[in-house]
Amino acid sequence: MPWNYSDKVLKLFKDAVKGETGTHMGELENPDGFGEHGSIVCGDTLRFTFHVERHPTDPTRDIITQARYLTFGCTSAIAASEALCTLLEEQGKTPIEALQVSNQDLIDFLDGLPEQKIHCSVMGAEALQKAVADWASKRGVDLAELLPELAHGDEDEGRTVCNCFSVTEPYLRRKIKELGLQSIAEITNALKAGGGCTVCHHAPGGLQELLDEIWGVKPVGQVEVAASHTGEQQSPYQLGQKVETAIEAVVRPLLQEQGGDIELVDIKGDKIYCRLTGAPGQSASADQTFKLLVEQQLKEQVDDRLQVIAV
Amino acid sequence: MKTVYVDNNATTAIAPEVLAVMQPYLTSDYFNPSSMYDAARSSAEAIESARRRVASCLGDIDPDQIIFTGSATESNNAALFGTVQANPERRHVITTTIEHPSVLEIGKELERRGQEVTFLAVDHNGELVLDDYVRALRSDTLVVSIMMANNETGVCYPVAELARIAKETDPGIVVHTDATQALGKLPVDLQVDLQHVDLLSFSGHKIHAPKGVGCLFVRRGTRWRPFILGGHQEKGRRAGTENVPYIVGLAKACELAIDGVADEQGRVRHLRDRLQKALVERIPAVEVNGKDAAVRLPNTLNLAFHGIEGEAILFELSRHGICASSGSACTSGTLDPSHVLKAMQVPFTAIHGSVRISLSRYNNQEDIERIIEVLPDIIARLRKLSPYWNDERNCLEI
Repeated sequence: MPWNYSDKVLKLFKDAVKGETGTHMGELENPDGFGEHGSIVCGDTLRFTFHVERHPTDPTRDIITQARYLTFGCTSAIAASEALCTLLEEQGKTPIEALQVSNQDLIDFLDGLPEQKIHCSVMGAEALQKAVADWASKRGVDLAELLPELAHGDEDEGRTVCNCFSVTEPYLRRKIKELGLQSIAEITNALKAGGGCTVCHHAPGGLQELLDEIWGVKPVGQVEVAASHTGEQQSPYQLGQKVETAIEAVVRPLLQEQGGDIELVDIKGDKIYCRLTGAPGQSASADQTFKLLVEQQLKEQVDDRLQVIAV
Repeated sequence: MKTVYVDNNATTAIAPEVLAVMQPYLTSDYFNPSSMYDAARSSAEAIESARRRVASCLGDIDPDQIIFTGSATESNNAALFGTVQANPERRHVITTTIEHPSVLEIGKELERRGQEVTFLAVDHNGELVLDDYVRALRSDTLVVSIMMANNETGVCYPVAELARIAKETDPGIVVHTDATQALGKLPVDLQVDLQHVDLLSFSGHKIHAPKGVGCLFVRRGTRWRPFILGGHQEKGRRAGTENVPYIVGLAKACELAIDGVADEQGRVRHLRDRLQKALVERIPAVEVNGKDAAVRLPNTLNLAFHGIEGEAILFELSRHGICASSGSACTSGTLDPSHVLKAMQVPFTAIHGSVRISLSRYNNQEDIERIIEVLPDIIARLRKLSPYWNDERNCLEI
């Protein structure tokens, strides 16, 4: 699908790649706040750092002066990172005020994002929250006391619902409520969860169950369960033994005399699959000679219904 | 800025020779080939002539075995669903994990409908393990469907040998192959090499014909039932008024493709090899996916760059007028990276940073040099932005 990014997204991305002045690529040394969201396995990561101008007496009045990012991700992930840093630097906010910057603010700043790229903005907001938490612990600010509604942190640890993107149940619960996600598609667009193998969509404890529990909706549609089947074909043990014995006792020595060798690959009924190596010459007819030789021997030694298939 | 089009495994430019033979059927000779009046005769004859010429290109086979369709995807659907319908007593299907979605998704659908499907895995080179294939064959195996060449990596599969083993195991097994990427790059001979193949699909738009026309070969005597019903066209095997201009174009494109195999194997391979060597020399931490396979399409180069994401690379290439594609999650419409690269276990630090460059007869040395000039700088700039790249030591850092 061709790109359908806004001009703003394209401009921010281009400037970032060119390293134009005023862009925010990089990682600050000794950052006052450090936060990272995503992973290389999932396909995007944002490492976000900021510096503050420290208030002499009250750390909650520190002002963010500089923000930088390193981003592994697509065009819009890089643009959203630029947006985050630009917003923060322009507005001279305290870290606690910065927490009010939501993924929707980033989307607005970017003049919109394609639906399936919403997760790029969520990544920005998440990295920011982590960086502010880092700043708080460094400056001895008790965020949980100041903003109890934001105190989640370690609570995101828990049962993994989406294995493809390592998304946990507590995190899903929090984000479904925070972002008002109503459907599996919306969850996938915003959080990537469910965007891989899709097994978690309707599994017990999966995305649909979480949605139903949170929003109180009855399940729609039936889960299709593929019929499971078992029962592999078994090759008769005795025949196998006889074939192997015949190969070891007669066939292999015969082939080795002529500079060749044989490897038994499989037996299915009366079909013997062999890899014949070192056949005299490379021609197809020589290979055919070897095959017929093996087949003749096995017919004589074991059963005249046997058929050799060269692999 | 000149466009450098190197996405020929996605689609190709229409050859001028193809367009020229199509013209009359787009203008003056618009008649329905089924009509009775004299004027319609040229349309009907054009289709039969096209059928003979396509048959001739595929190893001088009986033209009656050629069915024209709307696409390779349609051909694959017709091949597989038609075989399943005609063989209700068998319920096991063998295919691979690296098929094009038009086979892979049918495999999954057949599973949902109660068939048992074996999806054969591939190794790091993208190749099948022959012994796994042999072990997968069963007494109730209905159909084997394995592509001749993979669209993403160009890795080729020994379909002639796989078909022979299937038929020696049980002549009742139907063998299908998707030859979409192979035609015009490898010899496709249904008389000799591929004598054990029953069904073969391909499309026009990968060989410089327009999009919207394809072909299905059905060997005489194959247990197969038509998939699209509702008309006598193609002897009742594919209903629907024939797309005369496109069928005529497809036949011309087939002839050009067969004539072009030598160019692909020689000049185009040389360009690809030059590009591969130059990029690997200039760019650190890059995987060449499928490079160690026994046979690889001469036109395809699949690269995976560690520590960056493919969509951003494509975007930058596009700004320089270079059209390529990627197996990255962000370009696939899903959030998962390419199923082919996953099946090959491409390292997780590189799988999101893949770029496919696929050449055609219309590419030249100048195109290659342009990519060599532009791509290393794009990669370096994106790596500067990446948290997983150590710019000072110029290496990946997790």
